[in-house]
Amino acid sequence: MVNLENQIFSSYQRNPVLFDEIFDQEGQVKEVYSKLFELYGGHSISEYVNLNEKAKSSFFNQGITFQVYDKKKTKEKIFPFDLFPRIIPPEEWEIIESGCIQRSKALNLFLWDVYHDKNIIKEGIVPMDLISSSANYLDQMVNLDPPGGIYNHISGTDVIKHSDGQYYVLEDNIRCPSGVSYVICNRTALKRALFGVFDHYKTYSVTNYAENLLDLLETVKPKGVDVPNVVVITPGMYNSAFYEHSYLAKTMGVELVEGRDLFVENDFVYMKTIKGPQKVDVIYRRIDDAFIDPLEFNPDSALGVPGLFAAYKKGNVTLANAPGTGVADDKAIYTYMPEIIKYYLNEEPILNNVKTYHCSRPKELRYVLNNIKNLVIKPVDEAGGYGISIGNRLSDKEIEVVKAEILLSPRKYVAQPIMSLSVHPTYIDETESFEQRHVDLRVFTVLGKDKEFVLKGGLTRVALKRGNLIVNSSQGGGSKDTWVLKT
Amino acid sequence: MLARVANNLFWMGRYIERSEHIARYLRVNYFSSLDAPNQISQSRQFVLRSMLTLVGDPAADEEEELNETEVLYKIGLDPNYSSSILNNVRNSRENANSARDLISTELYESINKFYHFIANYDADVYTKNGLDDFTRNVTEMSAILRGKVRSTLMHDEIYAIIMMGANIERATQVMRIISSKYNDALKAQGSYGDKFKNSFEWTTLLKCTESYDMMRRHYKKTPTSISTLEFLILNPDCPRSIMNSLNQICKHIKILDTKKKHDRDSTSFLVGKVRAEYEFKSMVDIESDIQLIINNTLTHLYEISQKMEKEFFSY
Repeated sequence: MVNLENQIFSSYQRNPVLFDEIFDQEGQVKEVYSKLFELYGGHSISEYVNLNEKAKSSFFNQGITFQVYDKKKTKEKIFPFDLFPRIIPPEEWEIIESGCIQRSKALNLFLWDVYHDKNIIKEGIVPMDLISSSANYLDQMVNLDPPGGIYNHISGTDVIKHSDGQYYVLEDNIRCPSGVSYVICNRTALKRALFGVFDHYKTYSVTNYAENLLDLLETVKPKGVDVPNVVVITPGMYNSAFYEHSYLAKTMGVELVEGRDLFVENDFVYMKTIKGPQKVDVIYRRIDDAFIDPLEFNPDSALGVPGLFAAYKKGNVTLANAPGTGVADDKAIYTYMPEIIKYYLNEEPILNNVKTYHCSRPKELRYVLNNIKNLVIKPVDEAGGYGISIGNRLSDKEIEVVKAEILLSPRKYVAQPIMSLSVHPTYIDETESFEQRHVDLRVFTVLGKDKEFVLKGGLTRVALKRGNLIVNSSQGGGSKDTWVLKT
Repeated sequence: MLARVANNLFWMGRYIERSEHIARYLRVNYFSSLDAPNQISQSRQFVLRSMLTLVGDPAADEEEELNETEVLYKIGLDPNYSSSILNNVRNSRENANSARDLISTELYESINKFYHFIANYDADVYTKNGLDDFTRNVTEMSAILRGKVRSTLMHDEIYAIIMMGANIERATQVMRIISSKYNDALKAQGSYGDKFKNSFEWTTLLKCTESYDMMRRHYKKTPTSISTLEFLILNPDCPRSIMNSLNQICKHIKILDTKKKHDRDSTSFLVGKVRAEYEFKSMVDIESDIQLIINNTLTHLYEISQKMEKEFFSY
């Protein structure tokens, strides 16, 4: 029996409406967390504050920071990190992992179809106007065969645990999903601060991501290349995800390039090295579609490489992810995921989809307008948690504004029931105690030719503001180390 | 290795070396003036002007009265002064950032810590009584970085580029320090018993380059103009000497350019030529015109750097 008078948990307040991942309805610590609870509970507040500082300085010294502007001085800050890890038991992880692979595969087949024969549209399963009106659909990709037949090499699937204890997918990110380096840094920071806790749990390591990523990127090399030269392309060191780009290049042992380091000659891509030009075969690009090639897309882009798309079209270079994948992680396409999975794989979806209402359909639009207080309204093509309105948090006046916006461009919006994200005890500096905070989970899947890999861990993001449901780091979210237990 | 990144690593090496030399120069000059034998060398104005000369500041040549707090702040921590130690360290970290995938985690973390130490140093404390602590930390931390470069990187092209930068910069800074102290020795002449040859400034010069103890051990005599310059320019065993740096530059360019017979237009050829010139120089050649050898050395080093830029960094 665990002593609930634990010092640092003594003022923990449990809201019975929320799904708490470590306490059950009776307020007892769940079996899988009991040892961890005991270990953490043994610390006094001041000891814990010390450990917290230690973890922070670990991030700081590793240079995993972003800049904020405060009066006249620029300051560097770390992304908030919580020392209390989240545990995912093996039987739950199995569902998540197989579900994410299923979705990635289905999305890949969907993309092939959308850019080739469009069978799913011809059969009336997905409406054509959803595709043609998508800002992320690229005409240039029509009838183009990406090397190895893969479009979405890297996916970041955002999963939540609802109050019914089931996992739901909120979003599939298959453009340039980021965050994987934080999975590894969080583990490093936790190990530096509290290495002892790892003795009591058999947790999967998360350091094998880069190795597997390189392995899978090599399976989609262009035809005729023996040992491919893989590079990572970054917008540059002032990009907020630059740490991740450099981390991936470093751990894969490949070059980290910027657009200006590459050039195209006779439809082959080369990088400028100290020993002259060297051919590049596979590019893991962390630059958005619009910026990869000023000749083909945004002509003002200084980040991309002129002629890159022509080389891609010739099949001389692989781009991961392929251009134009954004058409499939659109929030409107999301609602068709159960049908898409059934159509291509002839399987039932393993992970739940949240019921979604399309404002483009008159009947559903009416439902949305009438029930807006119980719904979350999302723009279909925004990332990073921007533009989201949560019905029960809005004043009457705000609701009218949102309604007007929806009526103005119904195609732009979808609505979902307000999902209750599970909560996890999170240490809050201001109150010097643990409090319930909402969490989600980003799972990283890599798809290669006849091979796939899911990182056994993932990024648990925490909404640090009390009651807040938006976990994105750009909106003040933090993160937690996430342990997938071995069976 | 990418040409752009190679250029950044080259400059990372240079900036680390530069901040170390500036810091040491500040400390040694400031504190040695306190027990200098003549009035000129004791004068705070004289010392401040010498500091400004080292960083190439035009204010050094003006007649105006200098304010100690302002000069120390400017050279140490002024974010708006491009030659400040703060900006040198910031630049070296920016360069390290852009090559983060190539250098070791250990090296990066040390540079990062170094930068945060400098950036968070309280400017008031520094100008009031923190000069010794601040500059000592800068030299200590650069020594750590030198160790990390040597022991946590493969001794391949990446290492060679950093070492080229560090050694070109070291030779340049040592020569600039020689130049600055040579001029101080000229100016401080005329007081009783303190002729140019036996000037107190030679001891200061050796301390500025951390070579005083080595030199005493080698010559077993009080430093004079001749012995000091011979030691700092020509002695290949003195790790701060021009000769030693040239040998290092020569060694590392061979890692970058592995050809046996070098193109007359290559960096390797130029480095070999310059090195040979110093190898067969003696004190007699130097003594006759010290200013000339100072100028020539700085020109040679500049040419080597330019040549590298053209051969390896530009497209």
